[in-house]
Amino acid sequence: MKLDPAIRDQVLATVPSLRAFAISLCGHVDRADDLVQETLLRALAHIDSFEPGTNMPAWLFTILRNLFRSEYRKRRREVEDADGRYADTLKTHPEQTGRVEFGEFRAALAKLPSDQREALILVGASGFSYEEAAAICGCAVGTIKSRVNRARTRLADLLSIDSIDDFGPDRATRAVLAGGGRN
Amino acid sequence: MNTGKTANVETPAPDDADKPETRDAMSRPVTHRKSEVRLGREVQARIGQQLRAMYDEVVKEGVPQHISDLVRRLSEQDDGVA
Repeated sequence: MKLDPAIRDQVLATVPSLRAFAISLCGHVDRADDLVQETLLRALAHIDSFEPGTNMPAWLFTILRNLFRSEYRKRRREVEDADGRYADTLKTHPEQTGRVEFGEFRAALAKLPSDQREALILVGASGFSYEEAAAICGCAVGTIKSRVNRARTRLADLLSIDSIDDFGPDRATRAVLAGGGRN
Repeated sequence: MNTGKTANVETPAPDDADKPETRDAMSRPVTHRKSEVRLGREVQARIGQQLRAMYDEVVKEGVPQHISDLVRRLSEQDDGVA
């Protein structure tokens, strides 16, 4: 039995957003593309468990998120301060993100706990509802809401602190902080 | 600590003497708190824009050729892909 072309097209239509989510989660384009490929291999191998007419993006995001999580847990056992090293990597080699102009913002994003980061991205960028994000992350809606709030507050702190103490934020971050005021 | 006072303010009003932080160099009340709240809200709005801009930049790249090839190849295969 070949894959229904309509289902195949739904999968392909989700890929751009799935990649953006993967890059936001792991920071490296190459790793993110590996993650997307692995997600698609797994999804297409188990396409029977997808109910036509239900939410294809949410289904694929759930698979990718779970793959990322299990990989992250594996690496965490190997490297204690995985979060710290990840943030350092972004700072030292912003070009590895492939998007230098968002370097400062990505570095701040990388400092968030991963559960807060994924919640913020799902709701704030991917456009999922709180309910969909909760289903993807396998937690309560209230939990997603509080993670998103904490992520926003922490991000604001990180970006403000950078501007005052370092006095060297990049252009994109300065634009964030200038906020339409003077200058 | 920066009180906002400048060196050439010679004779501050008497009531400024014990709490100089509450007035700026022009003897206007300093309203740090209000502007911080405003900045906070402004920063939040910009964070949302920045997040979406960063994300959409990747979305705009579309489907990389190798991924499109992979999906098409797998979807032509029989059951039991893996």
